[in-house]
Amino acid sequence: MVSSSPLGANCLSADICAPLAHKKINLTFFTHLSGDRQVICTASEMGEAAFTQVKSRAAPGSELHLQRGTAVIAVYPHDKRPEILGTFIRSLAQARVILHGLAYSPSAITVVLSSRRVKAVVQQLFEHFYFPAFASPEEFFGAQPPPAELVQQVVATYQEKVIKVYWILPQPDLDLWGAKVSSTAILEGFANALIDLGELGLKIPFLVASPGLGGKDFLLSFSTSKAASQGDQGPEVRRILQAHLPDIRPMRLAPVAGIFLHGPHFGDRYGVVYTFLQALGRARVSLLALSCTVSSISAVLKQQELKAAMRILEETFEAPRSMAGPRPRKPTFVP
Amino acid sequence: MSAKYVLIVDDDPDLVETVSMILESKGYEVGKAYDGIEGEAAVKKRRPDVLVLDVMMPRKNGYQLCKELKADQATKSIPVVLLTAVGEAVPTTTYSHAEGMAVEAEDFIPKPVDAATLVEAVERLL
Repeated sequence: MVSSSPLGANCLSADICAPLAHKKINLTFFTHLSGDRQVICTASEMGEAAFTQVKSRAAPGSELHLQRGTAVIAVYPHDKRPEILGTFIRSLAQARVILHGLAYSPSAITVVLSSRRVKAVVQQLFEHFYFPAFASPEEFFGAQPPPAELVQQVVATYQEKVIKVYWILPQPDLDLWGAKVSSTAILEGFANALIDLGELGLKIPFLVASPGLGGKDFLLSFSTSKAASQGDQGPEVRRILQAHLPDIRPMRLAPVAGIFLHGPHFGDRYGVVYTFLQALGRARVSLLALSCTVSSISAVLKQQELKAAMRILEETFEAPRSMAGPRPRKPTFVP
Repeated sequence: MSAKYVLIVDDDPDLVETVSMILESKGYEVGKAYDGIEGEAAVKKRRPDVLVLDVMMPRKNGYQLCKELKADQATKSIPVVLLTAVGEAVPTTTYSHAEGMAVEAEDFIPKPVDAATLVEAVERLL
């Protein structure tokens, strides 16, 4: 589903995540860009139910589109290197893919695409990348278990009242870049820009690309981080983006901070991002961008709100003691 | 003296990333693999000083890999830390602690894994 709301009209937690969590609908992929746009993926048998729930809460002027028959492909690790993302996007371009969503977790790049293009994409990925675990696309497809088997392996293990996570990791001193890019430019142009950005030595710890409802444009949001020894590379980043995407008007916000929350099988559990958003709402933290994919939640917020965000998240989730604050005070969403 | 080499085998790439960061920050060299078959190949390619092994993985699970390594003279002395998210007896899964206890791993750490506990477990085995 792609959802777009008038600025300020959408309450992400209440209007989208709450009804899906209460109906026990797992979000296999979820991205949000502040004030505007979400991409929501669920298992195919839950698609209609999810669409109905979100539609029932949509504000006047909102738009919602259900795209059936999609699949999610993730490759890892990306080491936060822009040239890896650029090569990945180039593979998608050569497979003639229409992107329905693109997002990062701390180590994986995830794309939402039509199920019919999966084989073509995997073929291209094997042309551009070396996968030590599989010698060929055929071997890769042969090794995939049926989805039901995967769900059976994890479903009963995580029923705790306070959600346990592996880590809550902050990363301050990031730049956040945002731009609207035409659908034709997103693949080749952005891929080439990323490969050039790799030569600057920048890292990209966060990225979301959300399609517009008409399919004509994408909203891009990504953050860059640099080594302490490097000066401000913002002008160079802007130059590279505009060299490959001449019509782009990139927006830069700095400094911002990332928070990366990682937990057991987040990709197979409902209610986790709802709990996350509720917590940030209680602390009055404004989310600039959000990516939920693989087993992680990655969020970008204003740097001055980082402390408040970390405190509330450490109170809400049970994090390992070496990285946690006070023990959780109140139960969170209980299925 | 060269750094000790720890191999992490887990199908969760974000967990591998974070565990690697923690161990590298403690001065260890870290190798990564994302399922049991890849892990087996990585062990054969370069013998780790400690193997950190997830239980529930595709293609070959951690119990199976650990059993095979312990049954092989060439690899039986590699210390293994199993990361397990499995409760005592979870009826909907095919794993159990009882099976785990039979595989002769040197240590078991329950998930979500605590960074300090993991580092202690690795250092105890070196």
